[in-house]
Amino acid sequence: MKKLHIIFPVLFLGMNVNAQNTQVQGDTAKILEEVKVIALARKKIQTEMKMAVSIDEFLASSDNIGFIKRGAYAWEPLLNNMSTERSTITIDGMHVFGACTDKMDPITSYVESNNLSTIDIKSGQEGSLHGATVAGSIDLKRKTTPFTPGKKYSGAYQTGFEFNNNQFFNLGNLSYSSDKFVADGSISFRKAGNYYDGNNEEVNHSQYNKFNTSVGLAYKTSPFSAVRVDAIFDKAKNVGFPALPMDLWLSRALITSASYKQLFQHGLIRVWDTKVYYNAVEHYMDDTKRPENLVHMDMPGWSTTYGLVSRANLKHGDYSAEIQLNAYNNLSIAEMRMYPQDRSKRTMFAYSWPWVTTKFTSLAMNNSWDISENSRVNFGGSLGYNYNRSKYVEFNWIFHPGTPQEKSRILPGLHASYELQVKQFSFSAGSGYGHRAPSVSEGYGYYIYNSFDRYDYIGNPDLKNEISYEANASAGFKNEKTGIEAKVNYFYIQNYIIGRILSLGSPMNYQSVGVKGYTSLNHARIFNIALNARYNILQHLHWKGTITYARATDDKDGNLPFIRPLSYQTSLHFMYKKFGIQTSLNGDLTQSHYSPEYGEDQTPAYMILNISANYSFNIKNCKTVLQVGAENLLNEYYSTYADWGNIPRMGRNIFTSLKFSF
Amino acid sequence: MKKAIFFFTTLCLSVMSCTKEKTDYEAEINTVVTEHYEFKEAAAINNDGYDISIEALNGTFYKGYNEIRLKISGDHTNEDVSAVTFLPVMTGADGGRTSCPHRYALVYNADAEHFPGYAVFTSESSANETWELYISFTINNQIHSVKQTITVQEQPNKNLNMTTFTGKDGEQYFIALVAPQKPKVAENELVAGIYKFNKPATPPSGSFPDPSQFSYTEVSNYTLQLDPRMPEPSMGNHSSINNKDLTRQSDGLYHGVVNYTMTGNWTLNFIMLNQNGKILKGTEVPTDFTPGVEGVKSELYIDILF
Repeated sequence: MKKLHIIFPVLFLGMNVNAQNTQVQGDTAKILEEVKVIALARKKIQTEMKMAVSIDEFLASSDNIGFIKRGAYAWEPLLNNMSTERSTITIDGMHVFGACTDKMDPITSYVESNNLSTIDIKSGQEGSLHGATVAGSIDLKRKTTPFTPGKKYSGAYQTGFEFNNNQFFNLGNLSYSSDKFVADGSISFRKAGNYYDGNNEEVNHSQYNKFNTSVGLAYKTSPFSAVRVDAIFDKAKNVGFPALPMDLWLSRALITSASYKQLFQHGLIRVWDTKVYYNAVEHYMDDTKRPENLVHMDMPGWSTTYGLVSRANLKHGDYSAEIQLNAYNNLSIAEMRMYPQDRSKRTMFAYSWPWVTTKFTSLAMNNSWDISENSRVNFGGSLGYNYNRSKYVEFNWIFHPGTPQEKSRILPGLHASYELQVKQFSFSAGSGYGHRAPSVSEGYGYYIYNSFDRYDYIGNPDLKNEISYEANASAGFKNEKTGIEAKVNYFYIQNYIIGRILSLGSPMNYQSVGVKGYTSLNHARIFNIALNARYNILQHLHWKGTITYARATDDKDGNLPFIRPLSYQTSLHFMYKKFGIQTSLNGDLTQSHYSPEYGEDQTPAYMILNISANYSFNIKNCKTVLQVGAENLLNEYYSTYADWGNIPRMGRNIFTSLKFSF
Repeated sequence: MKKAIFFFTTLCLSVMSCTKEKTDYEAEINTVVTEHYEFKEAAAINNDGYDISIEALNGTFYKGYNEIRLKISGDHTNEDVSAVTFLPVMTGADGGRTSCPHRYALVYNADAEHFPGYAVFTSESSANETWELYISFTINNQIHSVKQTITVQEQPNKNLNMTTFTGKDGEQYFIALVAPQKPKVAENELVAGIYKFNKPATPPSGSFPDPSQFSYTEVSNYTLQLDPRMPEPSMGNHSSINNKDLTRQSDGLYHGVVNYTMTGNWTLNFIMLNQNGKILKGTEVPTDFTPGVEGVKSELYIDILF
């Protein structure tokens, strides 16, 4: 942490020096906006149903994302039905790692919707730009205001209340922009009580409190270059996890970065953007509010990462490319201390992450070549180097005697795809190959209690790289009134890492029933299909529908856990002048391919109806939107395939929100 | 902009201090476990112009296993010294005298320049229990006998505990932990001494002490089966894997392997088998995971703590 204190003053010094230089005027903002070499599918952080959504709710509106939910807060995103170890989750390309061994703090829990502009989701090896992956990448893009010719202030304030869990939130953001200097700031508070399920029963320990703030300052050092510093501070306190035997007392994250961006008017390289970053996450649990606990146990965790990400965008004629260099160093520490009922007795101590260092470097490239006006080839690859070191390797030696303290891995990745446009039809086909290294928990975890299957998990430092072979295809038709698209992907994953019951050893956490060790299956297969359709019934009445299905099996043709059953969503959206009304119906069918072996039981089908209405108007120059709606209107009692411990989801929830923006 | 920078720097500084300190794992074990490496003089006797020095770890005799180093200095060479004997004797409140497992005849170790030995003190010195060392040696065919009262202190290190029991064969046995002094959450080599009291066949004769009345042997070819468990109710009879039973090695001590999965209280549950594989003491402990129930101990066990 001392390092940070040194780095930042130095950066500020640098900025002050630059501030005194007089530079040639130019409109970087315009160029910054124009240079979008590879088009990204950008979405606003709001869903059709609800404009004031949490990051989790927003991600949930994407086809290939599902969630493991341990409560009302901090949902773990599953990309292509694969858990977070298999995807890279970054904030503006920065790697941040949660500090909780129980995955109570996915990275998405450390940001807030009002400091993000978009979330960039890439499936499979296409996502290898940010680091080695199997499932793909989720990049949370920070909100950045462009430079403007004159001085300009803009901002938004949003407040709302949700009746089911008495959630009250206030989100505010303000930005100032000028020709040479931009400042962005945001602040948010959310506070929620326990929610009630579809039987109107209170789900205890489901409250949360979240505070998030961010600042970003950019300064134009020349017409074609700019420096930018960013920081996000997030604090969650008293967060209940009804599906776990403990809650969160406090988690804090500080995510900082400083970047330099250079634009080029001529030549192959168009943009070069380099960023150094530092982030520190701390996470402390609390089980004192659970009287059923025999033993008080606090499980503090710390995760500190610093790194570098440098990318260049290239363009020459029909060819464009992105090259990215990633390097980071992460130290993950998690402690487990048990206090016996007789407090005079000695406490018991062990490391669940015995000071595990991960160093990772990768060089990745994505290329895109327009062969003709209606066809394009994308191809790329990455080469990564992953190094792990366990400081207190004696913990790992208990189950893996004599395993080396350090381990290096080479992680290659390759992908290629072809896109074809024939009149109103579009087709694509692609394939990929890539390795990933085991996560800190999979490699070095020590008695990590998983309350889903109630096993203690032991990492294995000698696990082989997980190797993914992937194929994907899509076909679509689009005209002014109708659109339909089908997407499929198939992953054949060698050395698929999963916890298997160990016949030896006895559990350490008193709730557990046994010990599981992370082992490699010979292979696993995952198949995902999504079907999207839209139809404009009238000029102001739109229909949309989505069906997704996934199937995943292990090497003995048994089912893998956390695979979403057939699910559907259909919505109608009607607009009239300043009024808008939306209704949606979504649900899952019965989970027939569940996996008792991995602690799952069959989840019954459910169907949820949502409705909302909004009205927009102006107060002076201030654009105002008022929204009222209800989620789970019929108050259905349900839990989904991925709800930890079959914790029931929220029952009927009436929400209101008001947004002012200028 | 300056204001913004000021704000930003302040923010960075204010939030970077951790809320809970990380545990200094190595230091923590040190506070619970006293570890001694250094041999210092624990007793000194001057007799007939010879200085007899008995060294023990930390210069103190503790209850349990004590490695000792005996040195005799005077105007002689150590090769002249022969028939060195060492006998600790405890006098109880009733005047009864017993000893404890020890090495009686000491043989000079020329490389280390001392007479190595050991004593497994079975109790601490108190008003009612007095420990004395009886030492005799021969130089130039002249026998010298000395005795010295010593103080046996409580063993502060819970990893060097001992136990005394009567086996199913009617014999009295002693098991004393020798190593590790400072266990780790890891695989630890577990070393223990197992001794048997040799019941005297004849009544005492000659001048006190008659060594035949105070004779102990290091038992050989026995096996000490090991099942380490955490006794705390909240630990639900937690155990570890890859442990190895203790067998006798060339140093006369029993060596095995114990794995500790976390710090805290552990019970070493033993079953002692004789050379024929017959159980002399100890019972199998349940292997079930029983949260909330204090772990059942074998009838032969030693508790440790680190």
